[in-house]
Amino acid sequence: MKNNILIIGGGPAGLEASAQLQRMGYNVILIEKSPKLGGHLAKWDRLFPDSVQAEEVLGRLLKGAEGVKCFTDTDVRAINRLDKSYNVRLTNGITVLSDAVLVASGFDLFDAVKKEEYGYGIYDQVMTNADLEAYFKSGSDRRIEKPGKIGFAHCVGSRDEKSGCRSCSKVCCATAVKQAIEMKQAFPDAEVFCFYMDLRLFGRHYEDIYLKAQKEYGVRFIRGRVAEVSENYDGTLLVKAEDTVAGKPLKVTLDLLVLMAGMRPSASGKAIGDLLEMSVEEDGYFAVRSGIAAGQRSPIPGIFLAGAATGPKTLPETLADARAAAMEVDRYLTEIFPDAKNYKQLVRERW
Amino acid sequence: MTPLLYLLAIQAADPEVIDRIPSGYSHFVIPFTVGITFMLCWIGVGCVRLLAAIPKADRIKFWKSLLIPKTIVKNLRDLFGDCLFHVKIWMRKPLLGYMHSAIAFGWFMLIVLGHIEVALFVPARLNVTRGGLFYPIFYRYFVWVNPGHTTLRGSFFFFLMDFFLLYVLSGIALAVFKRFRSIVLGMRHTTKPSLADRIALYSLWLIFPLRLLAESFTADLSGGSFLTVGVNHFWHFLFGDKLWFTPCWWAYSICLGLFFAAMPFSRYMHILTEVLWILLRNAGIQPNHPRKGVAEAEIYACSSCGLCLDACPMNVQKKNLKYSSVYFIRFLRRHNEKKINAIADKCLMCDKCHALCPVGVDAPALRRAQRATVNDTLPYDYSYLPLAVPGSILAGETTATLGTLRGGTGASLGDASGGAERSEAVERPKVLPGTVSNNKVLYFAGCMTHLTPRIIKSVEKVFKEAGVEYEFADRDGGICCGRPLMLAGKAEAASKVIEANKKLIEGSGCGTLVLSCPICYKIFKEEYHLEGIKVVHYTQFINELIASGKLKVEKSEKKIVYHDPCELGRGCGVYFEPRAALDQVGTLVKAAKEYDESVCCGGSLGSLTLDTRDRAKISESSLENLLAGDPETIVTACPLCLKTFSEAVSNSRLPIKNVAVKDFAEVFCR
Repeated sequence: MKNNILIIGGGPAGLEASAQLQRMGYNVILIEKSPKLGGHLAKWDRLFPDSVQAEEVLGRLLKGAEGVKCFTDTDVRAINRLDKSYNVRLTNGITVLSDAVLVASGFDLFDAVKKEEYGYGIYDQVMTNADLEAYFKSGSDRRIEKPGKIGFAHCVGSRDEKSGCRSCSKVCCATAVKQAIEMKQAFPDAEVFCFYMDLRLFGRHYEDIYLKAQKEYGVRFIRGRVAEVSENYDGTLLVKAEDTVAGKPLKVTLDLLVLMAGMRPSASGKAIGDLLEMSVEEDGYFAVRSGIAAGQRSPIPGIFLAGAATGPKTLPETLADARAAAMEVDRYLTEIFPDAKNYKQLVRERW
Repeated sequence: MTPLLYLLAIQAADPEVIDRIPSGYSHFVIPFTVGITFMLCWIGVGCVRLLAAIPKADRIKFWKSLLIPKTIVKNLRDLFGDCLFHVKIWMRKPLLGYMHSAIAFGWFMLIVLGHIEVALFVPARLNVTRGGLFYPIFYRYFVWVNPGHTTLRGSFFFFLMDFFLLYVLSGIALAVFKRFRSIVLGMRHTTKPSLADRIALYSLWLIFPLRLLAESFTADLSGGSFLTVGVNHFWHFLFGDKLWFTPCWWAYSICLGLFFAAMPFSRYMHILTEVLWILLRNAGIQPNHPRKGVAEAEIYACSSCGLCLDACPMNVQKKNLKYSSVYFIRFLRRHNEKKINAIADKCLMCDKCHALCPVGVDAPALRRAQRATVNDTLPYDYSYLPLAVPGSILAGETTATLGTLRGGTGASLGDASGGAERSEAVERPKVLPGTVSNNKVLYFAGCMTHLTPRIIKSVEKVFKEAGVEYEFADRDGGICCGRPLMLAGKAEAASKVIEANKKLIEGSGCGTLVLSCPICYKIFKEEYHLEGIKVVHYTQFINELIASGKLKVEKSEKKIVYHDPCELGRGCGVYFEPRAALDQVGTLVKAAKEYDESVCCGGSLGSLTLDTRDRAKISESSLENLLAGDPETIVTACPLCLKTFSEAVSNSRLPIKNVAVKDFAEVFCR
């Protein structure tokens, strides 16, 4: 008998997990709230550190998940826990009886409007990392017209208690370095500044692109957070920051400021979490059974988690997490789930 | 009093009242006499110590104030209104007001009338050497009413005494009931009594029932009216003719003695200290130390009534109850340094507890004074700033306070890493001395407005639309107004900032100074003393522009709720102008609590230690308060409130995603 598995979220984590579980012979149902699969990856142009095309990576993920029953434009309306399985009613009218549920609800980008002192939505020449990727994809943005001076403000909505997020979003540092290089490639005459608190370039090859940005592209890294931004009469931006290395306050006039908006827990993921009464941790991401030993199991038997639903992750981490989640689902469905007689005891011992 | 008493005491042929016990003494008066003597000594010494701790200038000011007719009238009004009738509580919570005034005013009348009775019928006994301390209290024990000689006057006093005893008893009954179901009297939280409080409280509860018992037992000897005589008949019905009343008088005296002995250590010290505090308060003397002098009168005047518990915005979470003003004052009394500091730092300084306090205890001022006692020096070294150039406006004197300088006014903004634009050595705000003519308007945005640029944009748009000639004082950054330093208890540092700003503004030669931040507004208005310059908040300014027809507005059906920012409403008393202006563009709806009861948004910079999660809880409740009238737009006139509510609306679980949060000026620009 093939077990039904419901996967919530059609981003990289959901796609990779459904591909793996399908290969194992399970009956996978994937739902995605938006009209298109791919999540944030579908909106990105190139990926750090190797500048591969996001489309290429997404294409590979989609190919792997071929044959999976997939509903786009679909959300969860209600979830009931039966004895062991879950009865899930979807917004498209279909009801799924699922033996395991994998929540891969991902993240939302921090709404940069909330960091009002940076002027997103108020000043014309302020944009976010996502806006810049959209520009790279489409090749046009009214804000970008031969910019002479470009600034990247790191940690917008990350590591910032005031905007309600203490944790690091992990990907923005490398993204900023990547985007700074790309802007330099597009506008070789432009001066590019990165305002950072710490550069967290922990992954393989990340340090290489950081060095490349400085040596080959002359990107200037200024250690200090942007304090506030104001608009000059001519529409350029006056950025105030502190250079903590030199120990001096600093003012720069820029033609374009890119805000590296961080990751926040997905709002629609939270709605599903509420339906399931899943616990969230202080940072707003879902709690896992054990941070070290069981990072893909939720505290509720039969509910699994993958990807950025349990905190910020880079793309390779998300994919690895999704594969691990698939293994966990398989272990649960073969070892614990079928034993109706001892189910409760097995859950106590092994969940 | 004396001449009036002679008039009243027309001696009858046979005396109406006869001294039943010629010595005028019985052993049962000992507990009461000991208790009250102890209390009076305590308060006497306390008063002397307290007045001695007040600086000499203030002390002279205090004595002088007692002679100024205007202050005398105010004193009398406040003494009767606050101490006896509890008018402020009546106006907010009638039942609670009745309870407090029944006990206070009723008891006061019993004491006064008791003394009048003694003065009328056995005047010799008022003399302290002949038992004047206790005799009027236990009057009914010592006297015998001469049958057949009672007069209308005597019956009248009998009636009054019984009436006020019943009045007090009704208050006590409510007080006992309040211990169990306080919400019926309009209080969600009540103060947790300390041990001394409990002793005093339980004896207070017992005093009046015991008095009724004692007086009713002796009513057939010493007379009485509807209550005591009625109850006396009941005792006769129960126990026959033999009524053994001495134990009741003993119990009554013991309870009174216990109450007065516990009084100095309990919240009931407020009964007497309140008088001194009201006099000091009306004399206009401010505390300069959190524990000594005026502050001592203030903290002992706190009755621990607990009205500040429900007022405090932090108390949406029960765990924060311990940070309320009532406990702050209790720990101040106990010299519990560790707890005092933690509590003083936590407060949002929204001033609501002060506004709603029945005796006007200014707890936020005490917290400020407490903050001033710790961590007096800033651990930062700003000597690297080239600002400390001798002769520059901000030089020298401000180097110690640069922690609050924003964005680098006047600071050289170099490019350490080589690429950033190098500006001139010293950059200064654009306003140069004398560039603004007298009828010109100077707009000072302040740090917080600079962090919410949409306010600046809207204000400038409104100014342009109304044709206001203005100069933007801190377009390229300015110095902090000094209020945050003030709130942190750093008055001296604040005064340096004030001085620097003052030079700048007076030098501009403007006639009107417009501020868009209530925090700035309060300090500019109260501490700057800008000669010849009108200081207005932009809500007042825009209201004026509309009234004079310079700014054209259109009325719409849009439902608007206005949030009173703490510093603007309670802080400066500006409630009317913003509402008058908003009424011209939309339909104002009411919040659940507004004006001086408005709930702090949670974003206040008054708190030094409250964390974001606790603040978010406060914002949530404050937001709910504003949504009572189902508004489409929330309007506030403070950059911090604007930021906080924008965040709160987007984080809210309520279906209010379409509710817009707007700044006051934003509403008026098209």
